[in-house]
Amino acid sequence: MNKWIPFTAVPIALAGSVTPGFANTYMSVERAQQAIFPGETFTPANVNLTLDQQKTIESRTQTHVRSRELKAWKVSGGAWFLVDEVIGKHEYITYAIGLTATGAVKQIEILDYRETYGYQVEEPGWRQQFVGKTAQSPVKLDEDIRNISGATLSSRHITDGVRRLLATYNVALK
Amino acid sequence: MTRARPLLGTIVEITALSSERSLCFAAINHAFESIEKIQRKLSFHDRSSLLSEINLHAADRPVELDSQTFSLLRTAHELYMVTSGIFDITIAPQLESNGFLPKSSHVNYQRSFADIDLSTEGCVRFRRKGVRIDLGGIAKGLAVADAVASLRTMGVKAGCVNAGGDLEVFGDCMLPVRIRDPRRRGDYVATIPIKNLAVATSGHYFANRIHPSATVGPFVDPRTSLLSSAAQSVTVVAPDPVYADALTKVVIIDPETAATVLPRFDAAALMIDYMGTVFCTPNWHASIQAA
Repeated sequence: MNKWIPFTAVPIALAGSVTPGFANTYMSVERAQQAIFPGETFTPANVNLTLDQQKTIESRTQTHVRSRELKAWKVSGGAWFLVDEVIGKHEYITYAIGLTATGAVKQIEILDYRETYGYQVEEPGWRQQFVGKTAQSPVKLDEDIRNISGATLSSRHITDGVRRLLATYNVALK
Repeated sequence: MTRARPLLGTIVEITALSSERSLCFAAINHAFESIEKIQRKLSFHDRSSLLSEINLHAADRPVELDSQTFSLLRTAHELYMVTSGIFDITIAPQLESNGFLPKSSHVNYQRSFADIDLSTEGCVRFRRKGVRIDLGGIAKGLAVADAVASLRTMGVKAGCVNAGGDLEVFGDCMLPVRIRDPRRRGDYVATIPIKNLAVATSGHYFANRIHPSATVGPFVDPRTSLLSSAAQSVTVVAPDPVYADALTKVVIIDPETAATVLPRFDAAALMIDYMGTVFCTPNWHASIQAA
């Protein structure tokens, strides 16, 4: 009675279907600003890192600076609000970080998470499945499925990104 | 409203379903804070955590615990007893020797939960030196349960907390949940409708290390100290996320014994074995539909 039985999917399950990459958008930049620094005002203050600064940051953190343009805002009271992107093997994560006036991490909010897999993009049928889909189509259903239970997604890339931004603060914002 | 933050070594996503945006916002903040507290308290890696204090000092003196941590250790003890030692939080040394946790000087394979004394309310003591505990197999479940409780306290009646695959859907809402397929990245074994239920998945897929004999995941059979390789992915559904989280490890180590233990916790499981065949317990479909 308490034995394992072969799994057969009930009709609701989309068993075995190859689904496109998974993506969730959580927050706009503006909402993240208010989430991390409620009531403060923000002045755009993008920074273009010099080649020397890039090299210093990379050697200090053993990370790769993909873009020398840093999306930054000065927050009233001397704090900083930064938006950064990290790229893993299959995932792209945009996140916002608030740094206090002394350069400590105040809070991190993930803005956007995307997962893609090479073979899905390469397969010619993959893009085709979006063509002509209506709001009621399965693609819409896929987009509605936000939750995935699977082996833990690592947040290591974000951890590396935060280290890189803290070094960037010391090199270019302090 | 759904927000996400990097916590517990993964990405934690919290959904509050309510038309009052300011309520959702404040409640999600509160829920993230409760997870941060658990992270600080139970981290194996952070030397200033309560868990580190236990591991450093409980062999010399009783260590006082807050009620949440004490009750978690009680739950771990219950699972140890019910599973005849398959679930054992003292396996940290074995994991270290296989490279899954930071190495430390004392490595001892001859320790078990029997070396932990919880007879004094609110205190833990190790009966011998060399015992160390790791709550990695159960802490995510606790974090999910606690975050759901925080949301409810703040007045959110329905929603979801997903800590990198350990999740709970609560209140009057049904959310579809996909189960990752370990055989093909980006693919899914099934999509299941979840309502008032917790789901947890453990697998070898993102944590593999190359072991001389085989590719192994971070699962040790505490009874033999051998790395387990019966299943490559296991999903458990149960009313309580702590049990769902813990029971995935029990199924991975010993699916046969697990099948007899799962009903005690109103739990059901789906397993993909090393041949890639998908199995489930007889109550799998009923458990999902009943909720």
